[in-house]
Amino acid sequence: MPPQASEGQQTDGNAPSFFRIPPPIKRLFDRFPLTTYPANDLPQRVPSGREDNQLFVFSDAASARRGRPSFNPQCLKWQAYLKFVGIDFEVTPSNNHASPTGALPFLLPALPIDTSATIPSHKLQKWAIEQVRCEEEQQLNVRFEAYASLLDHRIRNAWLYMLYLDEDNFQAVAQRLYVNPSTTSSVVRAALSFQLQQAARDELLKTSTYIDVAALEGDAQNAFEALSSLLGEDEHFFSRPNPGLFDATVFAYTHLILDEGLGWKHNRLAQLLRQHSNLVQHRERLLQFF
Amino acid sequence: MVLQLHVWGPAFSLPSIDAQCLAAIAYCSLALPKGSWELVATSDPSVSPTGELPALQDGSVWVSRFRNIVDYLRQYSDGEWDLDHQLDETGRADSIAFSSFIESRGQILLDLSLYVSSQNYYGNTSPAYGSLLQWPNQWILPPKLHGAAKARTEHLGLSSLDLQAMEEQRQREHSAGVAAGRIPKNLITRPRDTVSKLLGRTAQQNHFRLDALTGEFFEPLEAMLGQKTYLLAATGDDAPSSLDCIALGYLSLALVPELTFPWLRDAMRTKSPLLAEYTERVRQRCFGQAPVEVAHAFSPQSAPSSQLPWRTPSRISVAAVGSTLLDTLADATPLLRNVRKYNSLKAGAQSPDADLSGLEKNVVAQAANNGKKDMYASVATVVGGLALLVGYMFHIGMISVKAQGHGEEEGTEEVSDMDFNAGSAADFLSVGGL
Repeated sequence: MPPQASEGQQTDGNAPSFFRIPPPIKRLFDRFPLTTYPANDLPQRVPSGREDNQLFVFSDAASARRGRPSFNPQCLKWQAYLKFVGIDFEVTPSNNHASPTGALPFLLPALPIDTSATIPSHKLQKWAIEQVRCEEEQQLNVRFEAYASLLDHRIRNAWLYMLYLDEDNFQAVAQRLYVNPSTTSSVVRAALSFQLQQAARDELLKTSTYIDVAALEGDAQNAFEALSSLLGEDEHFFSRPNPGLFDATVFAYTHLILDEGLGWKHNRLAQLLRQHSNLVQHRERLLQFF
Repeated sequence: MVLQLHVWGPAFSLPSIDAQCLAAIAYCSLALPKGSWELVATSDPSVSPTGELPALQDGSVWVSRFRNIVDYLRQYSDGEWDLDHQLDETGRADSIAFSSFIESRGQILLDLSLYVSSQNYYGNTSPAYGSLLQWPNQWILPPKLHGAAKARTEHLGLSSLDLQAMEEQRQREHSAGVAAGRIPKNLITRPRDTVSKLLGRTAQQNHFRLDALTGEFFEPLEAMLGQKTYLLAATGDDAPSSLDCIALGYLSLALVPELTFPWLRDAMRTKSPLLAEYTERVRQRCFGQAPVEVAHAFSPQSAPSSQLPWRTPSRISVAAVGSTLLDTLADATPLLRNVRKYNSLKAGAQSPDADLSGLEKNVVAQAANNGKKDMYASVATVVGGLALLVGYMFHIGMISVKAQGHGEEEGTEEVSDMDFNAGSAADFLSVGGL
């Protein structure tokens, strides 16, 4: 035992404890963490002389070039919102590991040129408001937050189940879109798939003790019904002349649910959604933007 | 047959400690005629086949979750016991949207207030559970609920409300200071930490975060309520709807409990005075004037004035204790936990009220079966591997039965250990398969 240990006990004055860590070792470990790394750098592919805002989303190269909708609801929501308020941007295919916050989407603004500060998704709306002076829609209607919770919880939960936990859909859609592009190794693919499914399962089990498929779909059905009567005969939600954030949020799910190109094997949500023709037409109207 | 509503027991002078249960109690007390239902403070989710409370028992039929109960009561009474029948289309849509809003946002705030804030959890919530749960559940369930609440609120980054974690951090810094000998010992005081102090020290932004969270929750509701009697009432004297029951469940748990650190109640009173007044009014209408005490639930004679039709819960049976212990054990065992998960998925798909098409039902059940087969395969692999190892050790003579007593003891111990494992796993699987 190092001599410092006894000194430490004397200065401490307390009854010496057998379990006390010797001060030199303690001092060494108090120094941890030795360094804290800064946020991740931007991907090397980012063009240095960029002219346009770059929005990083889940997408594939071909769709990104043509500005097609992303296949991830969260990314598509912001992609659609920026389009609706009239901000020009380029879509760059990316994944979570490229993002400084660990989540997509994020935006690399064109101006000012010299900064490499990115805008994460929860600050995108504020940024857009500063850019084009559009209004903050949450403030305009008390119902905004309540109806938004339908999409953020009920429809999202049903979506998580349909995409990740329905085995056929997972193999046909999620694996093709999220897992296969990242690697060709089948072992890594299997591990990634397992992680994705496990994450979805954990998310659903946070709010209930077991996954009740019937309840998830029933909730989604109610949610579509409520959204449909909120939209009514209007062009856009809350009778706005132009589509806004809420329309983008709804479109992000309705488009992906109704998109035949994704190759769903079982699409119960689409069956439920097609019962509300105004929501289907709403999606078709907004698809014109892309 | 009298309908029985099984709920988590009373706490904080409310008839239940759980928001969904409070909502179900409020709904039954408003919609059902007196004498047609009884309230049982079971406080044990394992009584219901779905493992959830609140659960409505109608003979052999069990219905759990608030929305399912509401639907069931409507069908049961041919549309008579339905608080939502007067709603028009907009009202129905609002009811769905605001229920979802209250359930998602309210649950998070209650988690933060009752479970994650350690002062409140150890000072109020945990003792409340202690007085309403029976052995052994009082040792098993509260930590489980505490963990679940922490998991639900993890993404908010407000773990500094969790004083226990903060205290460890503080002690580390403190002892580092002492060890470095920079601080004379007699100058070191150990002040009692309060949340506001810690918050002040760690990050002011926690204040802002909590403030924003409570604001986001209370303000839309306050605006929706306005000067009306009930949330969806068209005129002043309209009747309450199921949305009011949900709102009462979550808001009363925010408003009524006397907590050590009442940030949620303070926020509610300052940000939404109308909502606080509304909660108090609806609460008195549904649960009666007098505060509910734990004794009311367990000996209804002691509270003849109580508005709620309490019925004494049956004593916990030895079999139930056994199955609870076995369940806990199984949930703590890695492989068994997964098997249980797949089983519950299958049960959900095959439940009679699932309105899945036949094909989808099969698909889900198949997925569950496949997953389970994988699990069995890995269990079998592990057991087979162990058996091979033991056999090999016998073969090369590392363990020899004929050798000294010591070796023999070791060998038999190993074998009997394995027997026990296999036995309990098989028992459990047969239970799960039912």
